[in-house]
Amino acid sequence: MDVALLGPAVSDQKEVTRILFEGFAPSTIEFFYLLGLSAIGIFCWGFYVQIRKYRRGASAGSWNELWSRARQMAQLVLSHRTIARRDRGAGIAHRFIFYGFLVLFIGTATITVEYDGTSRFFGYKFWYGDFYLWFSLAMDLAGLSLLSGMLYMMYRRKWMKLPKLDYKRVDRQPGDADYDRSFYRREDWAFLWTMIFIGVTGFVLEAVRLVWLGSDPHVWNYRWWSPVGALLAQVMASTGLSAEGAGLLRTNLWWFHGLLALTFISLIPFTKVKHIFTATGSLMFRDPLAAQRLPKVDLTGEKIGYNTITDFTWKHLLNLDACTKCGRCQEACPANAVGAPLSPRDVILSLREFANNALQSNALPDEVKLNVHGKGVGQVFMETLWSCRTCMACVEICPVAIEHVPIIVQLRRKLVEEGEMDPLLQKTLQTIHKTGNSFGESKRKRATWTKALDFPVKDARTDPVDLMWFVGDYASFDPRNQKVTQGFARLLHNTGIDFGILYEDEMNAGNDVRRVGEEGLYELLAENNIASLNKSTFKSIVTTDPHSFNTIKNEYPDFGGKYEIEHYTTVVKRLMDQGRIKLDHLLNYRVTYHDPCHLGRFNKGFDAPREILKTLGCELVEMARNRDNSFCCGAGGGRIWIPDPVGTEKPSQNRMREACAIEGLQVFVVACPKDLTMFEDALKTSGYEGKFVVRELIELIEEALTTVTEEEAVAV
Amino acid sequence: MKILVTVKQVAAVDDDFEIRTDGRDVDPDFLIHDLNEWDNFSLEEAMKIKEAAGGEVEVVVVSVGPESVDEELRKCLAKGADRAIRVWDDSVEGSDPIAIARIIAAVAKNEAPDMLFAGVQASDHSYAATGIATASFLGWPHAAVVSLLNYTPGSKMATLQRELEGGTYAEVELECPAVLTIQLGINVPRYASLRGIKQAAAKPIDVLTPSALGLAATDVGEAGSLSRVRRMYVPAKGQAELIEGTPAEQVARLVKIIQEFKGV
Ligand code: SF4
Ligand code: SF4
Repeated sequence: MDVALLGPAVSDQKEVTRILFEGFAPSTIEFFYLLGLSAIGIFCWGFYVQIRKYRRGASAGSWNELWSRARQMAQLVLSHRTIARRDRGAGIAHRFIFYGFLVLFIGTATITVEYDGTSRFFGYKFWYGDFYLWFSLAMDLAGLSLLSGMLYMMYRRKWMKLPKLDYKRVDRQPGDADYDRSFYRREDWAFLWTMIFIGVTGFVLEAVRLVWLGSDPHVWNYRWWSPVGALLAQVMASTGLSAEGAGLLRTNLWWFHGLLALTFISLIPFTKVKHIFTATGSLMFRDPLAAQRLPKVDLTGEKIGYNTITDFTWKHLLNLDACTKCGRCQEACPANAVGAPLSPRDVILSLREFANNALQSNALPDEVKLNVHGKGVGQVFMETLWSCRTCMACVEICPVAIEHVPIIVQLRRKLVEEGEMDPLLQKTLQTIHKTGNSFGESKRKRATWTKALDFPVKDARTDPVDLMWFVGDYASFDPRNQKVTQGFARLLHNTGIDFGILYEDEMNAGNDVRRVGEEGLYELLAENNIASLNKSTFKSIVTTDPHSFNTIKNEYPDFGGKYEIEHYTTVVKRLMDQGRIKLDHLLNYRVTYHDPCHLGRFNKGFDAPREILKTLGCELVEMARNRDNSFCCGAGGGRIWIPDPVGTEKPSQNRMREACAIEGLQVFVVACPKDLTMFEDALKTSGYEGKFVVRELIELIEEALTTVTEEEAVAV
Repeated sequence: MKILVTVKQVAAVDDDFEIRTDGRDVDPDFLIHDLNEWDNFSLEEAMKIKEAAGGEVEVVVVSVGPESVDEELRKCLAKGADRAIRVWDDSVEGSDPIAIARIIAAVAKNEAPDMLFAGVQASDHSYAATGIATASFLGWPHAAVVSLLNYTPGSKMATLQRELEGGTYAEVELECPAVLTIQLGINVPRYASLRGIKQAAAKPIDVLTPSALGLAATDVGEAGSLSRVRRMYVPAKGQAELIEGTPAEQVARLVKIIQEFKGV
């Protein structure tokens, strides 16, 4: 920058500075200090009340690796990576606010350090001369940055009409006490206007000071180092404001600005502004596997799951306070998209309100008043909890690392314990307990699908194998999926892979049982499978089922089952790269690909299936919601065992509608047994049958391997 | 105040199963065991009375069977039953519902409950006899197929509704203690979580033998039974034939078939 533009630079003039409390009587200054200390006192009290609130929660073992956590948190906060995702505007505006605020804060702290620290005690000053001038410039730009960010946020709220910023609740009816939550809107606006006022009065104050002290060359000559103030001063002077008048104005404005700022500081712990602390805290204790690996609990303990607000871990209580109401989770939520009474944000906010009411008073209320389940204000409805598909879309997009899925599952664990669930779900759980699979078939029929093959499948319980194939319930028992399963078996066999299965000793992997909240049954299944796996000899595991994949990969280790496991797409991709799978012909289909939640979002398996499609010669056209933003088929979290309400669109039908918008789409490709079932059904019920077909990726691979006549090829 | 609830571990067969070599039962390899469906309802009915009374009611479940039955008893304990009794030794093998009822009646004499609930029937053998036979051994009033119950612990009388054929109901009043066989749908049974079932392992299951109950060897097993299973079999599948041809040909064929059946 051409510094000369701003006025003469100085090197060492002590007079070039701002005299704090200039012209104030000592008693006035003392009074201001008193106010300042009270504000800090209120802040500290509020801070303490919040900490006390969190400490009233249960313990959470997240204090390890504090240093690397802090580093990651700082990276996230400074880069704003999570805030900018899927909302660039908000990301940029928040950066303006954040960095503006940060610089202003550092600046104010610097002045305090000099005035009440080094200068007061050691007579050492540094806030003058060059440093002072650069400082002034930085503060001016920071103020400008803060104001522009705030203005954009106002614009967003007033004119952009974003559904995600509508705080009306989907799980309450108009007229319910906590339906529209206008207090959040009022708080938003109060905050925005306060910041605007603080910023604007700051600039005006700067300007009147310049006019007031205009005759002092140490002030006036350097005025352009505070460009905004100088510009305003120029305007004021031109309207004929006298130095005297400016002085009077300055005193009044000074108090207004000062009191506003002090009020703001004292209110931080009591208002949304506290997200400065809670959001950073939440990011600091972020668990990258929050939804993939649900919390293990002691089943022999007195309680299970979250019943009262004090059952929540302090970390989840902190999560509740970290929510900035940005609405991204609600926007991503498939249950919300089809009109179910669930918004992940509302679950978090209503629990937050509950926690604030119950845990901020000096004494804890009675146990019954702490129960978060029910129909009362701030309580969470059973219907809300059962609407969740544990698809992780909310956890994945939340900019402040809130753990909706573990919270919801913990709440469900309590419902399961009380038996408060759909009767069909209850039946399914009993069936799984009885037979080890959700189809209610006898164990002995688990491997019936192998009978249709013209080669035997090795019994991995007795013969050592290279590759252990964990088949999973749907792939084993569902007739449509059995065809795919047989196809994969042929693929492995023809490629010369040494593989085997557990036959009747394999049980439901438990991924969905755990997400339903039936932890006892999950442990039983996991322990049985781990025992069977441990009795067999193999190098690694493969599965076609992303649900089994997730729980074996991420959750079995907690129960002593540590294995190397891959989804079949990874294995096939590698075999193709090695040239071990040779295609007969290319497919030339126009396809789209649906990322299964448990493969994509949960375990970042985005690329292998896409590369396989490319190798097969398919033209991949992405749907708008793809990869990390993929839209759940609706089967997760045990919802495949609970009927969807009739007359409303299902998530899978919603997805079909999205796919249908792709011109000339021929094949909707999935890589998950449950997806195949859900989408083939949805294709029929949503009325798009005949427009395109749903296929498992394995089926396409098989097709490309087989020699066919021309006519057969078009008849997909 | 005490309610005794009888429960049974029932067996369901696989789609493809085999008969035991002695031909008198299904090969146990092909059986999947579970708690008899009716018993969920009778236990729930007892639990409802217990909960409404606020704790002074003891619910005791009783079953006759080998050790594997403990699994079902634990489900009942997980749902809130206070304790469980299982009666077994090898002499019980081969008992029919009458012999089983004799055993249960002996338990009931020891326990002296105010009410005894049984399921209407067991889903595997469908005798629908054990409950009522027990009442007869005890000489207690009884009501079968109860679909609604009005009973306050401690009171001398209970009013209830019995489900009859053809959609009619009978309202009955009877003196307690009594034996009731409970029908499906009388309530909504609660869910026993696996955690509850595991924790129920800490609750007591008393294992008794018939002799400890004062029963003689001739009271139980085949000796104490009025019936025995001679053979268990799958009936040969019925045959169907589509008769084709002209009306005259069809009639001729039909006559022939009728004569074959008559054995002419
Ligand atoms: S996990 Fe999925 S369905 Fe459940 S609240 Fe989050 S986004 Fe909605
Ligand atoms: S939970 Fe996270 S994503 Fe949802 S509104 Fe709050 S901050 Fe935004």
